[in-house]
Amino acid sequence: MSSRKYPRIIERNGKRYFFRFSLHQRLQHIVLFSTVITLSLTGFPLKFHDKWWAKPLYNFFGGIEVAPTIHRTAGTILLMLFVYHTLYWMSHFYKNRVKKLLAERRLNPVSFLHALLTQEMLPNLQDGKDLVQHLKYLFYITNKPVKYDRMSWKEKFDYIAPYWGIPVLGPAGVILWQRDFFSHYLPGVAFNISYIMHTDEALLAALFLFFVHWYNVHYSPEKFPMGTVFLTGYLTEADMMHEHYAEYERTMKEEGLEDQIKPQH
Amino acid sequence: MGKSVIIKALLIFLVIFGSLSVSGEVKAADELNCILCHKYRGLSRIDETGKFRLFFINHNMFSLSPHGKVKCNDCHRDINVVPHEPAQKVNCTIECHIIEPSGQRRFSHQSIEDNLFQSAHSKYDKDGNLKELAEDYPHCKDCHEQPIYRPLSFFKGSKPGVSERAIARCKTCHRTGRFADIFYTHVTSRLQKTRTPREIVSVCARCHGDKAFQKRHNLDDVVSSYFETFHGKAVNHGSERTPDCVDCHIRPGDNVHLIESKSSPTAAVNKENRSMTCRVKDCHVNAGENLAGYHVHVTYDDPEKYPIEYYLLLFFTFLTGGTMYFFLSVIFLELVRRFFPHASLFKSKDH
Repeated sequence: MSSRKYPRIIERNGKRYFFRFSLHQRLQHIVLFSTVITLSLTGFPLKFHDKWWAKPLYNFFGGIEVAPTIHRTAGTILLMLFVYHTLYWMSHFYKNRVKKLLAERRLNPVSFLHALLTQEMLPNLQDGKDLVQHLKYLFYITNKPVKYDRMSWKEKFDYIAPYWGIPVLGPAGVILWQRDFFSHYLPGVAFNISYIMHTDEALLAALFLFFVHWYNVHYSPEKFPMGTVFLTGYLTEADMMHEHYAEYERTMKEEGLEDQIKPQH
Repeated sequence: MGKSVIIKALLIFLVIFGSLSVSGEVKAADELNCILCHKYRGLSRIDETGKFRLFFINHNMFSLSPHGKVKCNDCHRDINVVPHEPAQKVNCTIECHIIEPSGQRRFSHQSIEDNLFQSAHSKYDKDGNLKELAEDYPHCKDCHEQPIYRPLSFFKGSKPGVSERAIARCKTCHRTGRFADIFYTHVTSRLQKTRTPREIVSVCARCHGDKAFQKRHNLDDVVSSYFETFHGKAVNHGSERTPDCVDCHIRPGDNVHLIESKSSPTAAVNKENRSMTCRVKDCHVNAGENLAGYHVHVTYDDPEKYPIEYYLLLFFTFLTGGTMYFFLSVIFLELVRRFFPHASLFKSKDH
């Protein structure tokens, strides 16, 4: 990630803000949540068709004659985003890791695999340690909160969840949509499987996003009504200390502000 | 004796009063003037079995129905005098006074009865013996009410009843009597379903959705499983283009009275015929044969019948439950932790 384009720390009105997401990433996130919300609003009235809210909500989106088209359009955009994002991280991976290995003449299958598995968004041993430490903290075994680095295990889960969810949901949705075409190649039970995969994975995704993810970025006391990092790309100092203390310490040191580092509490 | 005099006097009064209030147009064949009494909305009684019976007839609606031109005592044969004794049940297979125009024969529903006899819904088995629980099998009125004709939908702005714009064309030539109206409704009612798919499903669900009935006949809950399919969901959202029960359970070209058990080799839903049924015109025309392998009526609580669906659903149930249980617990514990930020069993000094 280019730090020159986005300064790691900026100061506005005497407050410090820490860089987290580039504009490119924020735009991808906007497409992601817009399509996911649209898909939920046009999908769940079908899954729960006999509930009191299903008909008015579905009718708002044009009812049975229109809502399916909206749903399929949003789904297509989401699948395109998935492909786009995969190319996006691959190009980043090539630029930041593979090119370096090439320049150092160290590129071989082992070093490549190592680079692949140590990417920022993938879980590692430290996440396991952090999780254990966090549970210890929550059960009053220790009074030391975790010092998370750039990506906490929670954020990694937030990222990996759609990355598992879209390949489960998306193709299943396409199979149900193009059932006549796929019936030439797949057995009938594939449609039953697709149906369960599509609706039940969707339920899991929606429950997780609208309760857990939205708790983390909307409902929790320090975020309510909304954390602004998804719009500005920058996190406030208080949030940074609360959520990424290890990265906070490191960034402050690297930016020559070591003397101004505040304690975690 | 005194009582019958009062009734007769009342009747004479009603006849005079009724004839004054009759509008210029005679709506349907009511030679006996039955509507004189049956037009009253409160005309009802509690019968011998304690059942509430309503005898009111909405003449406007009746005259638009398929039987609008049939005389009352064509069906209610036992009624010849007014006032009358409690009427016998109507036998739908008798010949009525309508002459069927194509064959010049008196009209009867006997052929429908013959169809029903061959179907899964017959009270009799193949040898003509009464089936077990014969009283559970439907007869005409268990499925049929008086349907009201609906207009052809491709005439813009059409509303239930007769489309004036459409019938005006007929009346250019067919000027006398009500021939154009009756012929129009007779034909158009058969071009379009009289009932919406949702209503058809409700008709079948009267028996097939009844838990006690399912148990008596060892049948799956096909109504619930239908509503789990996209067909059922769309129908529940008011779709008119989505198949209901009868669309899949009759062979193309047959009438609805010929629904057969899936075990019958000629049934529309027999394993051998299913793919043809799915691929009829207007439905999955371009689909492959495999589409028929889709389990429409899945019962998710039956691991022996539907193992794949059962275990896949179980997996997702545990995945969803486990994920949500873990994360909501973490959220709850984090909220509580805020109240006691420094509480701990082991206190670390470097902190």
